[in-house]
Amino acid sequence: MSDPDAPLLDVEDLSCDIDTPVGVARVLRNVSLRLAQGRTLGLVGESGSGKSMLIKSILDLAPRAARVTGRVMFEGVELTGMRAAERRKFVGRRVGVVLQNPMTSLNPVVHVGRQIEESARYHLKLSKAQAREVAIDLMARVGLPDPRDSYSHYPHQFSGGMKQRVTIAAALACEPDLLIADEATTALDVTVQKDILDLLQMIQEERRMSMILVTHNLGIVAGRTDEVAVMYGGRIVETARTNALFRSPRHRYTDALLAAMPRADHAAHTTLRTIAGQPPDPLQPLAGCPFAPRCPVAEARCADSMPPTTFEAADARAFACYVPRTLVAPPPAEVH
Amino acid sequence: MRSTRVLYLRAVGLRLLAGVPVFVLVTFAATALSDLMPGSAAQTILGDSATPQQIATLNAQYGYDQPLLVRYVGWLGRLLRGDLGQTLYSQQSVFGLLLERAAVTFEIALLAMLVALAIAIPLAMLSALAPGGPLDQLVRGVSSVMLSVPIFVTVVVLGFIFALVLRWLPATGWIALTSDPLGNLRQVALPVMCISVSQAAYFYRVTRNEIVATLQEDFVLLARAKGIPTAYILLRHVLRPSLTPVLAVFGLSMTYLLGGSFIVESYFAVPGIGWTLLSAVKIHDLPTVQGILSVVVVVYVLVFMLVDIGYSVIDPRIEIA
Amino acid sequence: MIAEPRAQPPQARGTLRGDAVAAHRSRSQRLGAAQLLDWLAVTYLVLVVLAALAAEYLPGLAAPTASVGEFSQAPTLTVNGLLGTDALGRSIFSRVIYGARASLAVACIATAISLTLGLALGMLAGFYRGLIERIVDLYANTVASLPPILLILGLVAATGPSLFTITASLGILGIGTYARITKGGVIAQAEREYVLAARALGAKDSRILTLELLPNLLPTLTSVVPPLMAGLIVTEGSLSFLGYGIPPPTPSWGGMIAGSTDLLNRFPLLIFGPILAIVLTVFSLNTVGDRLARRISLREGQL
Repeated sequence: MSDPDAPLLDVEDLSCDIDTPVGVARVLRNVSLRLAQGRTLGLVGESGSGKSMLIKSILDLAPRAARVTGRVMFEGVELTGMRAAERRKFVGRRVGVVLQNPMTSLNPVVHVGRQIEESARYHLKLSKAQAREVAIDLMARVGLPDPRDSYSHYPHQFSGGMKQRVTIAAALACEPDLLIADEATTALDVTVQKDILDLLQMIQEERRMSMILVTHNLGIVAGRTDEVAVMYGGRIVETARTNALFRSPRHRYTDALLAAMPRADHAAHTTLRTIAGQPPDPLQPLAGCPFAPRCPVAEARCADSMPPTTFEAADARAFACYVPRTLVAPPPAEVH
Repeated sequence: MRSTRVLYLRAVGLRLLAGVPVFVLVTFAATALSDLMPGSAAQTILGDSATPQQIATLNAQYGYDQPLLVRYVGWLGRLLRGDLGQTLYSQQSVFGLLLERAAVTFEIALLAMLVALAIAIPLAMLSALAPGGPLDQLVRGVSSVMLSVPIFVTVVVLGFIFALVLRWLPATGWIALTSDPLGNLRQVALPVMCISVSQAAYFYRVTRNEIVATLQEDFVLLARAKGIPTAYILLRHVLRPSLTPVLAVFGLSMTYLLGGSFIVESYFAVPGIGWTLLSAVKIHDLPTVQGILSVVVVVYVLVFMLVDIGYSVIDPRIEIA
Repeated sequence: MIAEPRAQPPQARGTLRGDAVAAHRSRSQRLGAAQLLDWLAVTYLVLVVLAALAAEYLPGLAAPTASVGEFSQAPTLTVNGLLGTDALGRSIFSRVIYGARASLAVACIATAISLTLGLALGMLAGFYRGLIERIVDLYANTVASLPPILLILGLVAATGPSLFTITASLGILGIGTYARITKGGVIAQAEREYVLAARALGAKDSRILTLELLPNLLPTLTSVVPPLMAGLIVTEGSLSFLGYGIPPPTPSWGGMIAGSTDLLNRFPLLIFGPILAIVLTVFSLNTVGDRLARRISLREGQL
């Protein structure tokens, strides 16, 4: 069933609706993306853009009240329609997940060694001793000091950065083909963030893993990803090769996002550009482009109907915008 | 940096110390109560035909003619020497009587708790897996109703069903565990059932809510993402963090059971502490009453202390001091 | 990205989804059923209180001591025979209603005593701390260390059963519980800005206590009163069951149950009436208390 030429991850038309006491929230709308083997994808968006829900929907971890439609293929195997237990087993073996908050990602009453090895113990049928060696090896790999000692320590005995290394080790236990890091560095100190990101990059290169970095921080995806997908209002508004996206964004939201980034080459006291308005309400989705209410150049048709997708093969780009930016350099930042 | 051992000892000591004033108050109140009785204890012992001289002699012998405070201090003194006195009528050692009867109550209480936990925890887990679903609603409804049924109603109803109608179990009586385990089991079944009904409902409620909360934690999400089977996650990841409040409830229940089991014991004629207390109160047997009350209060303090320590065992983050 | 989602096979659902948002289909049904239950509970309680107060004026209701027919009859559709007759031919229905009067009177009066004194003591303990707090804590702990029924049992054994003894002791013993709850509430509230503001404006302590703190304590207290009252009814019932409660000839639910145990194998329906009454009453009180408690936690959550 596995097709060697197929992309590692193929999401087709994924939508997610959640039933809440006050109505149906359309959290994901017709999301499609592809990730090839060994490539890194940056998934960028504000809070509430649906990026975490996208990950959860792909992994079948959406809440009870969520209804997910669409297709997800992994290594050529169709996940949707698989029986839940089968799907969990299949995906758990091949995908490692690192979550945002290391404080809550680890079970406080279970020692870290077990939390790191349990995935390998179950999927790879390792013995207790073998699993222990694997765990200690992983702990060394992710830069944890004294792995043999720390193996039986509890999470609260580690600092935030160390805890996150533990979760990374746990995610790598089965040598996954894909590692998903959902805001993995957001809750950490800035200095630690760089270390963790470097670690992830190093591991990815070593193992030729694919990786998805989910973040709201464009700075993180800049040097570390091959492709970027930008999400807004539950939709993917633009995807492209990272360099191309940064050099010349096409979708207006991407443009605004990039313009809002503080840059090292800005002069001192540069006014930061913000995006006026509020993020869209998933309970009241618009028929057209979700960014229309806040877009500086929106036309009437933008709010009325969803723009068709434009593909640009040169940069592996896809975007949906009636009035995209033309391929020129971004306007210079204002100086005061 | 103090060693953990010293911290533990300190914590234990403080709690025991805090229990002392409570102990004094309760036992003093018990002594004072006997003053409220019409006629004296001596009269009750000797009966209506007693002469005033006989009464006076007995009073002097037991010290009943002395003021309240003196009597109490005297009792306290004897207590500290390990002498709980003797029962009023049969001159049996109060201490010995207590041990015998307490063992019975303890057996019933322990069995009832275990049965209650065995019923409550699996149901709580099943409920928590599908909150708001049909099983959850059903069990929650049933447990609400069971919590509203007083124990004396439970004993009458269950006694009726199992002893009178089905005739599976004996209605009254007691056979010691040591002499005939099987017979003991038959005798213990009804009391245990009655107590575990409301206990189970209580444990279920607390555990279910706690598991629902734990299931929403990130580490459970991660465990699911790892693809580990549900049963393993439940048992190894969810159960232990959820047990903390159960421990507190467990502790509370044990204390109440020890003292408040007398309804169950008197209905099924089981010779436990509660029934002994009841009988002692009826016949104004003060030494026995005070002995039992002392034990109950001491157990209360000890149990609460153990619960506190237990917290820190279950959850390594909680420090004992 | 813009194509309509194709029809898909139903998604396989996992089983480990313990989250708070209920399953879609039954949510509206569930909310409706819960509300209905709450209102039924309130209605039942109101009816019981009215019946207990106006027992003599209820049309056709026989006196609780009067014989209305054969012994131990099964329930019939007449007013007096609604729950059958007891071993002495008296109407169980009537005795249940008069029994409600006794139980409710004990519960209400005892609660009134406990609540007023407990509230006062608790507020003082929480506000001034120090010695008063120590005393209140000691009292609450002492009372909590033994089931109240034991203490009252002892008292009644010594002085004989009487309505006054039971009500007064329950009232006094209950002070500890209310005091502790109030104290906790006061301590929590005393840190809040509106109290500091009142102090800064120079308000007298008594003013702060009555006008500022008290209204904020009332919601928690009101949610706690129904279940505690239910506990009082159970305690009184247990005492009556053991023979240490409300003295005859006043009917009491516990006493009625105790009195019928000998005849159970021949007339099991004798206990049906009082059991139904006591379980419904306790259940309704607990339900109302739950509802009030949920309301409060919702409010606090919005702060």
